[in-house]
Amino acid sequence: MVDVSQHKLVPEHTVLDDPDRVDEVLSEYNVSKTNLPKITVSDPALPDKAEPGDVIEITRDSRTTDRATVYRLVVE
Amino acid sequence: MTETDAYEHVTDDIEAVVEDTELPRRLKDRVYEVVEERGPISTERADEIARATESKYIDTRVDPLDPVGTVSAQSIGEPGTQMTMNTFHYAGVAEIDVTQGLPRLIELVDARKTPDTPMMTVYLDEEYASDRDRAHEVVWSIESTKILSLGDVSTNVADMLVQIDLNDETLLERWPTVGDVDEIAAAIAETIEDALGVSTHREGTLIEFGPSEPSYRQLLQLVEELRDVVFKGIEEVSRVVIRKESLDDGEEFVLYTEGSAFGDVIEIEGVDASRTTCNNIHEIYRNLGVEAAREAIINETMDTLEEQGLDDVNVRHLMLVADIMTNRGTIESIGRHGISGSKESVLARAAFEVTVNHLLDAAIHGERDKLDGVIENVIVGKPVAIGTGDVDLRMGSFSPDMGQPSDD
Repeated sequence: MVDVSQHKLVPEHTVLDDPDRVDEVLSEYNVSKTNLPKITVSDPALPDKAEPGDVIEITRDSRTTDRATVYRLVVE
Repeated sequence: MTETDAYEHVTDDIEAVVEDTELPRRLKDRVYEVVEERGPISTERADEIARATESKYIDTRVDPLDPVGTVSAQSIGEPGTQMTMNTFHYAGVAEIDVTQGLPRLIELVDARKTPDTPMMTVYLDEEYASDRDRAHEVVWSIESTKILSLGDVSTNVADMLVQIDLNDETLLERWPTVGDVDEIAAAIAETIEDALGVSTHREGTLIEFGPSEPSYRQLLQLVEELRDVVFKGIEEVSRVVIRKESLDDGEEFVLYTEGSAFGDVIEIEGVDASRTTCNNIHEIYRNLGVEAAREAIINETMDTLEEQGLDDVNVRHLMLVADIMTNRGTIESIGRHGISGSKESVLARAAFEVTVNHLLDAAIHGERDKLDGVIENVIVGKPVAIGTGDVDLRMGSFSPDMGQPSDD
């Protein structure tokens, strides 16, 4: 199997497993979890341990700044 | 403090001042470059430059409640009117047809399941990329090999037989790892048996077979079917072009394919699975996930615009389009079957396309419109909740015993 995370199009995905961090993110953007962009559980780039309801932190190499951090909610 | 070591005139103090601003990395580096050019300057002067840059930067950021979507739509739409309508063009790569211009842009935002002209750019692992023979090994395991490129096919009507005369050289060339003609021919005969359900007779590189019952029609049909059998490579890929390209770290062989099967190709030995891409955003999505698909949408739309000389469209607009298309974790098209069609407001949907259907359906289901969005408020003639339209003005009142409000 090919390691998808090594592809240059795939940014780094990490599961936010600390509930405090999730709350921090949600309060920073003043949104509820379901307002976040989604990512499906079957997504090949997702870390294995991710489950529906988890929030994923994605660190992209941005075209407009150095690094851009975005969050996606894992859904079915 | 390592990043500024390359600059002679950037002192630690200057770096501290610049790093303290809200500027993104790209602009911080530009500030360092300017400081470097000017020669030794005082920290105060550097601070002034940094502050001025920062205020300019903050000034150009999008304001809250700015209608970014509308601005993006116009910024892509206007240059779009200048794009060519003619589809085919041999662009970038010699000999490979790629859909370009407006049709390609439409194809991307419509999120078509398969592009008009699917293609892949296959990068190779180091050892394969530098050696033409090794690179060809990969070519033969990607390009689909059919019987007509392996030898001559003839029909012997008298004996009701299809006869194949395989070409030794071609066999050795296409199966570089086997090296034994007889073995290859045996494998080919077996493939024919499996694919057509016939029994074959083989002598060296001569393969013969015929229909179970003597029938002229069946014989011709066998020949037809034989032409479509894939003996090696990937069925979807009809052609591979090999090119030597000079990249940052020297020259390397890069393969361009007509037809795409991204998932299969990245598994092939010798293919660099970290750089290889294709122009089918759905294949990227299936194999690499939404985030990669988002990147691919941005790259593809940007390349399409650039190729037409419209490279002054800001990436931010294309990024917004890609963000919206991948917002729900899958790829959605922009049009009536995707984003616009899933809007909550009836009036917004009706304003886009097939007006009557939407209004009729809404009436049948007793839908309500909350009039939250832009389009529905334009329709009913109310201020839209955008920019100053979303801000309420509140006035304070003062009672005499709390003192007078000041004059200004």
